[in-house]
Amino acid sequence: MISVLNLHKTLGSQEVLCGVNLSIQRGQTHVILGRSGSGKSVLLKHLVGLFKADAGQILVDGEDIARLKERELGPIRKKVGILFQSGALFDSMTVGENIAFPLRESGITDPETITARVAEALEMVDLSGEEEKMPENLSGGMRKRVGLARTIAARPACILYDEPTTGLDPIATDSINHLIRRLQRRLQATSVVVTHDMKTAFHTADRIAFLHEGKIYFDGSPEDLHKSTDPILRNFIEGISGETD
Amino acid sequence: MQIRILSSAGSGALYFLKYLGELAILVKDTFHSIRCAPIRWRLFLRQVAEVGFRSQLVVLVTGAFTGAVFSAQTYFQFHRLGMDSAVGAVVAVSLFRELGPVLTALMLSGRVGAAIAAEIGTMKVTEQIEALRALGVHPIDYLVVPRVMALILSGPLLAAECIGLGIGAGYLVATRVLGVSSAYYMTNMLKFTMGRDIKMALIKGTVFAALIGFIACREGFKASQGAVGVGRAPTEAVVNASLMILIVNFFLSFALNIIFPAGTY
Repeated sequence: MISVLNLHKTLGSQEVLCGVNLSIQRGQTHVILGRSGSGKSVLLKHLVGLFKADAGQILVDGEDIARLKERELGPIRKKVGILFQSGALFDSMTVGENIAFPLRESGITDPETITARVAEALEMVDLSGEEEKMPENLSGGMRKRVGLARTIAARPACILYDEPTTGLDPIATDSINHLIRRLQRRLQATSVVVTHDMKTAFHTADRIAFLHEGKIYFDGSPEDLHKSTDPILRNFIEGISGETD
Repeated sequence: MQIRILSSAGSGALYFLKYLGELAILVKDTFHSIRCAPIRWRLFLRQVAEVGFRSQLVVLVTGAFTGAVFSAQTYFQFHRLGMDSAVGAVVAVSLFRELGPVLTALMLSGRVGAAIAAEIGTMKVTEQIEALRALGVHPIDYLVVPRVMALILSGPLLAAECIGLGIGAGYLVATRVLGVSSAYYMTNMLKFTMGRDIKMALIKGTVFAALIGFIACREGFKASQGAVGVGRAPTEAVVNASLMILIVNFFLSFALNIIFPAGTY
């Protein structure tokens, strides 16, 4: 569904992505692993056109979105939804208004349809009945769930997750991991999960890619990663920095 | 030493040119959005209430006290020359051509410009603007167009209110407190205040309001580095908008004086 070909991106004076190649298959959950600051989120945001590539191609259903202007990306963004690390809820709107936002923007005006779709999205993320709450009254985990409900309300074919479990306690992390799997089964959506959490990676992935020094260093099944004897991969999986006390 | 001074002056000039360039691109994108994208009337009306309706008190108080004190100062100077009856004309023409629009704009930049920059800046650092884009909504359509349009509508109306109350307060101070003849005051004011003075006030009010909107939105979009950046955005918006208003006012006064010359009857 999504192919990234020789993607380059420089931010400031640092070349963050230097020739990334990645293929994401329809209906699969592809996890992108990497150390903090390795460019995972930058790569993810390229997939929905939030960053402009310096060079290379990003093909979504065969269409190169790297060449499109901001106003031409609308149809792509209906196909590809993203859950931001912080949830990125609109703080001037209630939970219900946040989830209704993409529906109204897509031209749905019937209040009953909107109410039903909002309730359905909230039910999918286990937050039924929370429509009237304001984002400031939600915990970190709830914000991510509402952000996810807003993303899935428009029924995208592909969902991008930017660090979905960062900052959450182990129970909330496990809950989000299950939610990602459940949504993938229920919506049959393609998922791309950016994380550095190994538990999230192994729980949710059909395939795992490892981003290292601006390139895809590894791309294979979770079993292949588990069995790998490559020192860079082993150090990351086992959380070994190589430093001593 | 000379090289350092030249280098510093050069980098300052480059920064200013870059700033003007960014403003010009924002203006171009905004007008492109107004032409090509549907206008969000609900957001526009909400902004009219926020920007226009809720700014009235501060603008009216400014207008009233400026008119009152300006009337008194003019009287103190003119009284020595026996020109008491000219106070009304001086106050009215000054308020229309300069003081009304400029003071309204300065008050608006403090109240509205800062709020716009803070709101957009917060949205920027909390990824809400990226979320808008990800949901297929152009930030210019959603954030800039309603605010700039509301300011363009409200600016001249608020300037008119400020001028009206300033003239009223000036009249009361001159006639009730300082003893100027009401008939002379009104006659001279009406004689020397022309339609072109009103047009000049409304044009200036519109231009300054648009400047506030564009500068505040630009500062909001440029906010970065978390709380520090969000804190800096309103300050930069108020300072830059105020300076720009005063500079543009100088050139605009000369340009408009060619179209609407003062002192010809």
